[in-house]
Amino acid sequence: MIHFDKIWTIISTKYSVFFEGVGITLKLAFFTVLFGSLLGLIVAISRRTRILPLRWLMNAYVTFIRGTPLLVQVLLIVYGLPQLGVRMERLTMCVIALVINSGAYMAELIRAGLQSVERGQVEAAQSLGMNSSQTMLYIILPQAIKVTLPAMGNEFVAIIKESSILYAVGVYELTYQAYKLASVNYYYIETLIAAAIIYFVLTYVATWLLTLLERRMRRGENKYV
Amino acid sequence: MEKTNTFDSGSSQETLLQIVGLKKDFGKLKVLKGIDMNVHKGDVIVLIGPSGSGKSTLLRSINLLEKPTKGKILFEGQDVTAANRETLCKMRQRIGMVFQQFNLFPHLRVKDNITISPRKVLGISAQQAEEKAMQLLTRVGLQDKWNEWPDKLSGGQKQRVAIMRALAMDPDVMLFDEPTSALDPEMVGEVLDVMKALARDGMTMVVVTHEMRFAREVGDYVLFLDDGQIVESGTPSALFNHPQEKRTQDFLNKVL
Repeated sequence: MIHFDKIWTIISTKYSVFFEGVGITLKLAFFTVLFGSLLGLIVAISRRTRILPLRWLMNAYVTFIRGTPLLVQVLLIVYGLPQLGVRMERLTMCVIALVINSGAYMAELIRAGLQSVERGQVEAAQSLGMNSSQTMLYIILPQAIKVTLPAMGNEFVAIIKESSILYAVGVYELTYQAYKLASVNYYYIETLIAAAIIYFVLTYVATWLLTLLERRMRRGENKYV
Repeated sequence: MEKTNTFDSGSSQETLLQIVGLKKDFGKLKVLKGIDMNVHKGDVIVLIGPSGSGKSTLLRSINLLEKPTKGKILFEGQDVTAANRETLCKMRQRIGMVFQQFNLFPHLRVKDNITISPRKVLGISAQQAEEKAMQLLTRVGLQDKWNEWPDKLSGGQKQRVAIMRALAMDPDVMLFDEPTSALDPEMVGEVLDVMKALARDGMTMVVVTHEMRFAREVGDYVLFLDDGQIVESGTPSALFNHPQEKRTQDFLNKVL
């Protein structure tokens, strides 16, 4: 028996608890995308270098991260770092784990973006006397980032959802809050449905905002994206 | 007119480019089979020939967009093929290039397409670079496109901007790789006019083209390439009116 009428009561009476969870979830997603895309950028560019060991290292990183579960990576960081003597807030360690994970996926996205820039662009830049870093900075990257931005937005939405596994290490994000609440009010399913609704609203609104942003970026200029 | 595989205009001006024994293979395919040619300051040299003859590869080898398999390319006395990366960039700054597909930077407005390299590569101030860009655009009647995005321009306008982008670097020689081949027929004229004016002003030019009228009217010398070799070379009137080689005659019969 599911008490659907309870769902709204739970949300409306305990909204402050959910709010706290939503705040942490959004914070996680924001910082993960911010630092994850920076890491991804560095990795994606390093994978094009002539320095072979660096390239191998970056390839290994991407392959390893994409080949292992996020939860295992989180557990390794959250319980592994303290054993190595690193003292940090748990939330910070979780952001680190998410960034390391997301960085690998971002690196792939950015790599695709870099590859999408036509060969002729590089040739034009070279023929104008630009060296490889100038070509990367002024010609390839701006075009690649623009192609990659929508996918980065999707990554933000994905992390809102995926960060729910952090409940396993006791970070007070949305799922953890819901679970904690349920263990007090005993309406497990109802409370989790409430959490699901909140997640859905979050991702729906985030997706909508990102679509607006994308459209705005395209307006009045090039179709080439 | 010479009937050898080498070319030199015999001009008394200084030699800008010396191409010596240039060979280029793409895997098993031998695209250039030994090219020897000199380009003197002020020469306007037009390369013609059937597709696959290697004329574009020859042009692209000059600024090392293609790496030669064998041979040397001396630009102002310095070997391009042996240059380190820094020197190569320096040399490329003095060699302008115009592409068939324009290759304008789509994320930059017209003015920034023209000024980015003078500013970032030569370190010229934004103000100076923009003044120069405005002069160049005005010269080709595109001053009102100053703030426009490249994809809002017609093909002919794009190519004129691309030529001005190359000229903004004050190059010593300009390379044109089939600059009108991607254009609608009604836009070919406006681009050729710009090139004609450039030739009249004494710019050294090496042009790969299918425009025989341009070759005839503007070229000082026409080189006919086939199968990776210079088959025949000479002044336009000599080559077009009295081709000596059978391969040249066959080609000209097809295109004229």
